[in-house]
Amino acid sequence: MQEKIQNIKNQAIAQITQASSSGELEDIRISYLGRSGKLAKLIKEIKRLKKEERKQVGILANDAKQTIEKQLKVQQNKLREMVREWFDPTVPGAKTPKGHLHLVTQAIEEIAGVFKKIGFVRVRYPEVEWDWFAFEALNMPKWHPARDTLETFFIDAKPHPKYGQILLTPHTSSGQIREMERVKGAKAGVDSVVRMINIAKCYRRQSDVSHVPMFHQFEGLVIDEGIAITHLKGTLDYFARNFFGPGRKTRLRPYHFQFTEPSFEVDITCDVCKGTARLPDGQGCKLCKEGWLELGGAGMVHPTVLKNGGIDNKKYTGFAFGWGVERTFMMKSGLEIDDIRLIYSSDLRFLKQF
Amino acid sequence: MDILILDSWLREYIETDATPKKVAEYLSLCGPSVNKIEPVGRGNKKDYVYHIEVTTNRADSASVYGIAREAWAILPRFGRKVRFNQLKSNLKQNSVSEVNYLEAKIDHKLCPRFTAVLIKDVQVKPSSEKIKERLSLVGVRPINNVIDISNYLMYELGQPMHTFDYDKIKGSKMVLRASKKGEKLTTLDGKIHTLLGGDIIIEDGKGRLIDLAGIMGGENSQVDAKTKNVLLFVQTYNPLNIRRTSISLALRSEAAVLFEKGLDPELVSLGIKRGIELFEKLTDGKAEPEILDLYPKPYKPKRLKTDIEFITSRLGIEIEKKEISRLLEALGFKTSWSGKDIEIIVPSFRTNDISISEDIVEEVARIYGYHNFPSYLMQGSLPEPPKNTPFEFEIKVKRILKGMGATEVYNYSMVPKEFVEKNALRLKNPLGAESEYMRDSLRPSLVQSVKQNSGEKGPFHLFEMANVYLPRKGKLPDEKVTLAGIFSNYTYREAKGVIESLLEQLNINAEYKPEDSQHFLPSRRVKIATGNTPLGELGIVSTRGGSAFGGDEKRLIYYEFDVEKLRKSSKSVSSYRPIPKYPAQIEDITLTLPERTRVGNIVSSILTASKLVKSVELTDIFKDAYTFRVWYQHPGKTLTDKEVEEIRNKLLKEVKKKFGATQKI
Repeated sequence: MQEKIQNIKNQAIAQITQASSSGELEDIRISYLGRSGKLAKLIKEIKRLKKEERKQVGILANDAKQTIEKQLKVQQNKLREMVREWFDPTVPGAKTPKGHLHLVTQAIEEIAGVFKKIGFVRVRYPEVEWDWFAFEALNMPKWHPARDTLETFFIDAKPHPKYGQILLTPHTSSGQIREMERVKGAKAGVDSVVRMINIAKCYRRQSDVSHVPMFHQFEGLVIDEGIAITHLKGTLDYFARNFFGPGRKTRLRPYHFQFTEPSFEVDITCDVCKGTARLPDGQGCKLCKEGWLELGGAGMVHPTVLKNGGIDNKKYTGFAFGWGVERTFMMKSGLEIDDIRLIYSSDLRFLKQF
Repeated sequence: MDILILDSWLREYIETDATPKKVAEYLSLCGPSVNKIEPVGRGNKKDYVYHIEVTTNRADSASVYGIAREAWAILPRFGRKVRFNQLKSNLKQNSVSEVNYLEAKIDHKLCPRFTAVLIKDVQVKPSSEKIKERLSLVGVRPINNVIDISNYLMYELGQPMHTFDYDKIKGSKMVLRASKKGEKLTTLDGKIHTLLGGDIIIEDGKGRLIDLAGIMGGENSQVDAKTKNVLLFVQTYNPLNIRRTSISLALRSEAAVLFEKGLDPELVSLGIKRGIELFEKLTDGKAEPEILDLYPKPYKPKRLKTDIEFITSRLGIEIEKKEISRLLEALGFKTSWSGKDIEIIVPSFRTNDISISEDIVEEVARIYGYHNFPSYLMQGSLPEPPKNTPFEFEIKVKRILKGMGATEVYNYSMVPKEFVEKNALRLKNPLGAESEYMRDSLRPSLVQSVKQNSGEKGPFHLFEMANVYLPRKGKLPDEKVTLAGIFSNYTYREAKGVIESLLEQLNINAEYKPEDSQHFLPSRRVKIATGNTPLGELGIVSTRGGSAFGGDEKRLIYYEFDVEKLRKSSKSVSSYRPIPKYPAQIEDITLTLPERTRVGNIVSSILTASKLVKSVELTDIFKDAYTFRVWYQHPGKTLTDKEVEEIRNKLLKEVKKKFGATQKI
């Protein structure tokens, strides 16, 4: 009898450790511990044993029952763990390589976006242009320093009998005359209405930490009946509010350009010293001029320029502004790039920051 | 033109309760810009230096007196009290056209007004402390009383003047003329200049060149410690000659910078009289009673006419006629209204810059104050935009590339000679040999971009979208917007995948045909086209020193597209195809390919084997075994296993016949 109990116990343990599902375990439980299970049947037989044997066997049977029950539980847990495959959710992700748009592209998109909302049309005109469009038609006198070979790049080519030399546009203003010519006849009735934003590469003979020979400008030009200084102010304020945010103020300062009259320079309050010209530690702000940063030039289109573009300057007036893309963007973001030439390098350590 | 103005000196002419900070603010808003206020001096001698930017058309305000004149008009607009102490001279000297101490022959095309006066028995010595201090504070080194007077007056009035040692002018004679090419002159800084011709010079009675007029004095006539008699010399010159000489000889003296802007000939009278006053006071010299003054075409007041409607329409606000007059008269203009019309007399010092009605509008507007103008957005009709502008497409392409891990670069348009083909555009005046030509391809720049990142170990992909400049005879060059990119540490398959993906996202049905071309390694380039339109190319480039990049897989992979052609071939929305009603049967077929078989050809061969093959993709390569995933699909029914088998057999037969490819089971 004792041997039988021992055998049943060993048999049961062997079966349990090999069981691979809880269903199987349940079957095993029933077959040993169930009402008519193997161990249960033996226990029923204990009554028939002699009295002195009964106690000994009883202890043994009870021990077998407990061992089987415990083993069932252990196996149950093991199975439950096995169902959960090992997985580590904290493993670092395998990232898609991160791309970068150049900061000039980002700036152009943002700037063009602001003007698009108030009906400005984006255009593109030649970067390699005739002197006529870049200087002569813009009322620049022949002796003007900008027309000097010290300041502007000229192409080694035969000059045009009417349009003069070929040069690299030193400003986006050369698009003004092109745009005036384009709108004439583009739409019946409103043939001299212009609301242009011209964003392009510009070139000047300069290269140091704060100047590069190639840079970008955006040029606004508005022509219509009754355009006045108040509209120029309104447009520039709109741009400043929407591009720089409502916290920054602008001002117009009288200035002088050949192709506008009156002419202005537009300033915006410095973001570093908040327009106070003093830093919190009492030091003077190095970035700005007495709290103001220069955005760029603007003005009412000179009547001679309108005439050169074929626009009736008795009927129409206009305004224009042309600013540096890189400069304007850096003023917005507060970026202080110590050497501006980095913008036109291909150094990934720089490019990946944007 | 940046000038320095001392606050205490300025306040000699304008008395005001405005602080330096306020003076600077008001001037900037309505007149010349004050870029900086610099505190100088100590204790009760506290002073300030204004750093002022004067625009080229306003040389009249490039002086203490000129700024005072502006402040006089501007400060009252801000409710400030101002008293203006106008400069006048009570000297008894007469202006005459002949004097006994100097014989002068003047070319008045070069020198519209010529004045000079002899001052006898001067004592050359250090200047007074006040003059020395003022000059030092605005950055001028005091030398002696004679030299200091001319510098002091240039800062005070904006009128440069010169002093000769009278006894060094041989024959007491001066001829002011244009130089001849090759003539030599030694300026007082000891430098010998070979003249270009057309420079304004003065020759003395012995034919010696004694002055590079308007720019710098001659060494042989300069004032020194032994000088007894001084010829004080005040002129105006033709600005074009001055500018040309000053630039070409690189002699940018302060006098030249002023004279090249064109100065007011009327200022000369005040200049020479102030000069005499200071000389008599500070050098104990005695001026001759007569000033030589050669001024054949004296100034005639300039008159302009405009009307209230014009002014109002340009301003966008209404300013009353009386107010307009007040604003203009504060600046020295004289005005008279007759109904709507106004006649304006321009002061002599503004003759050069006031010519049209718009100039009057500017004067009214700036003194009224731009800060007092309201802001309005334009109303009215919108312009007709140009058709088919490329900007949206261009940014779309850039964003797709960025999404696939590419980094955008901007390279210079100007490149060295070895970057371009033979006929590329050349600059006449480049900054250097490394930027002498306009690039006709983006490839060399991008190869250089990669080399700039030689420290980068991992794979990277750079791209650029920019113009290339293709010369056209007698015309402006063709500026072609080009997209180009370069892969480093990418395998060819990875790189080509990026390009295929890009074109798919642009809904362009592209074909890739192997075709050799210069700049690419043999048989490592494909031409990319859609239908008959060539779009661009992709391949492994040969770079000089390319061995540094290792074997094929490590070499640089370059691509280039004509953006305009991409745009025209791209559909913004892909066309709709009905979703198939019956499912496709999909299976993988592994083929063993003979060496040098082009997988691209196998793919197109499988695709064209039957109309029921909808799609093929290469999924795996192991040695010479290529696994393709093939989609079989019928529009009208589900294909049975038997039908699939038939198609499979057909395509296997095809690839076996054409390429000797066998199925690996």
